[in-house]
Amino acid sequence: MVVAAPACATGTPGDPRLGCRAPSLARRGASRARTTLWTVLTPLALAVVALALLLALWAAAFALRDRAVVLRQLWGAAVVEAALVVQAIVAVAVVVGGAGVDEPATFWGYVACSLIVLPIAAAWAFAERTRWSSVVLLVAAVTVAFLQWRLLQVWGAP
Amino acid sequence: MSEPSGPSTPHTEPTRRTPSTATGPGRVLVAVYAIFALAATARAGVQLVRDWHEAPLAYGLSALAAVIYVVATVALARGRHRLATVAVSTELIGVLVVGAFSLADPAAFPRATVWSAFGQGYGFVPLVLPVLGLLWLRRTAPPRAPGPGPAS
Repeated sequence: MVVAAPACATGTPGDPRLGCRAPSLARRGASRARTTLWTVLTPLALAVVALALLLALWAAAFALRDRAVVLRQLWGAAVVEAALVVQAIVAVAVVVGGAGVDEPATFWGYVACSLIVLPIAAAWAFAERTRWSSVVLLVAAVTVAFLQWRLLQVWGAP
Repeated sequence: MSEPSGPSTPHTEPTRRTPSTATGPGRVLVAVYAIFALAATARAGVQLVRDWHEAPLAYGLSALAAVIYVVATVALARGRHRLATVAVSTELIGVLVVGAFSLADPAAFPRATVWSAFGQGYGFVPLVLPVLGLLWLRRTAPPRAPGPGPAS
């Protein structure tokens, strides 16, 4: 009785000796790159979400105490922004390396939007020296966290 | 050394001129409007370019919403009071009408818009935003235009 060779399980190296039907080389490459995208960007995105929410809490505390944004908070925002830049670079590198994303337009839209939100909030912190700059920073940080969460949804599991 | 923090400077309330639509709480409003303008424009752009044929009505409305958010953002940021009032009022009508229609006749809206189900997909922010916007615009109304004040 002849049993059809099973398809290779996802993630297993398509070793012909295992007797499974190896997918084409190109598809394997794309699949591997996709797994890389997933494993590299997910922790990064979760880290950004955590940092952004911390920043949001900090800004909320200031807003409640009727205080404007202070320089130290902008350093905090810079840390979040740095993580976002790293993430954008990694995303470009991995996608150029052959990984696909489920909805490329939406994905890159979120990446680009994430990058511009905090700098604008920071610029306003200098212009608006009232508690409302803290509220703007709060809104910006929550937006970044939300965009990251959406990003996780949009690029899809490997 | 001039830190922006100004550690011990007392919080000075700006002199009560007519407040601009773009400062103080208005800045938060402009920020949220800007985010929605960006989100709606990007979303509508993708929808229109990629799959216009799937749901022309919903995607057309998305594009309209995007334009209104952009106009409202610019008008609020630049203190164009009347333009801002028109844009924000249109937005309120839009979210109410589209919200009601999307619930009454879901078949007409096979794809979601920003305003579907009163902006449920966006935490109802699209519903709250124009109300806050109109309240803020009333508060910052230029004195020379009498406007309909609260009756009695």
